[in-house]
Amino acid sequence: MKKFALAILCAAISTSAFAGKEEDQQIKVRQSAYTFMAWNVGKIKAQVIDRPEAYDKNQVIAAANAIAAVANSGLSVLFGPGTDQGTGWKKTRLKPEFFKQPDEVRKLATDFNREANELAKVAQGGNVGDIKAQFGKLGEACKACHDKFRVKED
Amino acid sequence: MNFPSIKITVWDFPLRLFHWLLVLSVAFAIISGELGGNLMDWHERAGLLILGLLAFRLLWGFIGTANARFCSFFPTLNRLRAYLDGEWRGYGHNPLGALSVIALLVILVGVTVTGLFANDDIASHGPLFDLVTKHTSDWMSGWHDRFYTMLLALVILHLLAIAWYAIFKKQNLVLPMLTGKKRVEHDEAATPVMSSAWSVALRFILAGAISVAVVWSVANGGQPFVEQSAPPPAVVTPEW
Ligand code: HEC
Ligand code: HEM
Repeated sequence: MKKFALAILCAAISTSAFAGKEEDQQIKVRQSAYTFMAWNVGKIKAQVIDRPEAYDKNQVIAAANAIAAVANSGLSVLFGPGTDQGTGWKKTRLKPEFFKQPDEVRKLATDFNREANELAKVAQGGNVGDIKAQFGKLGEACKACHDKFRVKED
Repeated sequence: MNFPSIKITVWDFPLRLFHWLLVLSVAFAIISGELGGNLMDWHERAGLLILGLLAFRLLWGFIGTANARFCSFFPTLNRLRAYLDGEWRGYGHNPLGALSVIALLVILVGVTVTGLFANDDIASHGPLFDLVTKHTSDWMSGWHDRFYTMLLALVILHLLAIAWYAIFKKQNLVLPMLTGKKRVEHDEAATPVMSSAWSVALRFILAGAISVAVVWSVANGGQPFVEQSAPPPAVVTPEW
């Protein structure tokens, strides 16, 4: 009986504290990265679309640069094998299909990076109409990947 | 028995206006929701129009003309049974069609109400997003999507039923929804009683005004029923 309890305890400790630690860490970091990008997306939307009268060129540049920097930081390494299972800040919503369609993933991810870089460039130009148009394209690129590789809310 | 055929008004003008505005705005909401990007702002506007149309339809179901009222076509078991036995007489929705009408309205209310609280984790959220936690909003977004799938299924069924009537029963259901008129065999018992034009106009204005008020309130985050947070402060570039 004692042995049995000990075995259960060991199993519990090893699954919660050790197994999948690296995977969970990757999930946690990528969830953070996307949340941070969304924070910056929200700032641009507030200034360029919701209240254009509040447009502040430097803040929009800063936000666009932040998004581009995260996009270009090599996020792919946060999608290690097996990370369609696990818990970062919360349970991951990565679809298993992600690992079966590497070409599609590469296409969506590089499309997204291109739009993010373009937005950073357009933000420098300071033309609100151009920024707004490019901002829309960025949003579509986020959505394209979510539609394909992110599990729907439950 | 053979009655002389006459033309009667089956669908009143407000109902037809509702129907075709709904078709256009739902089609637009579907396209804009699927495409995303900057169209999401227009998706939310189309959604608010749909909200107003639904509010109007629900009111019209109680104070509209005979064929528009829920009590006149609500598919009770007795009516369904009578219809399946071939004993149903009437000019509005038949009980089976009524079932699909009610289902469409319920699902539309579902997709619209959840949309008001939804968010896409990118740049968009409904006008009532601030009233709930992010967690609840995510849950609403999930249901927004599921109701949308159900809506698509019902819309396809609706179109198939119309095609079926056109092909196998040689009945054009679309034309009466455009003109309001339908040629029927004259039968006093089944002719709906029409109320005076003034009374209809007055009730139309009343239902319309209430619907506009509902949309205004929701578009403004629930005013005047919900205390609004102070407007965002002027943008200042943070020091660090
Ligand atoms: C290459 C595909 C891809 C692109 C491009 C992408 N996302 Fe995501 N996003 C994901 C995946 C996958 C998840 C789920 C991550 C997880 O739970 O492990 C996610 C999750 C998120 C989350 C939730 C994070 C959390 O707390 O769980 C937010 C917010 C988000 N993305 C915003 C964005 C925004 C904004 C953009 C565009 C600027 C974007 N995403 C672009 C794939 C992508
Ligand atoms: C009949 C009415 C509506 C239809 C048919 C509809 C349809 C859609 C569709 C197709 C999407 C994309 C879902 C996806 O990407 O999987 C969507 C998303 C969304 N809709 Fe609607 N919608 C309706 C009403 C509304 C209303 C009234 C609002 C709020 C004003 C709203 C707000 C949103 C938001 C914020 C999203 C993004 C959430 C997400 O992607 O999960 N919608 N809708």
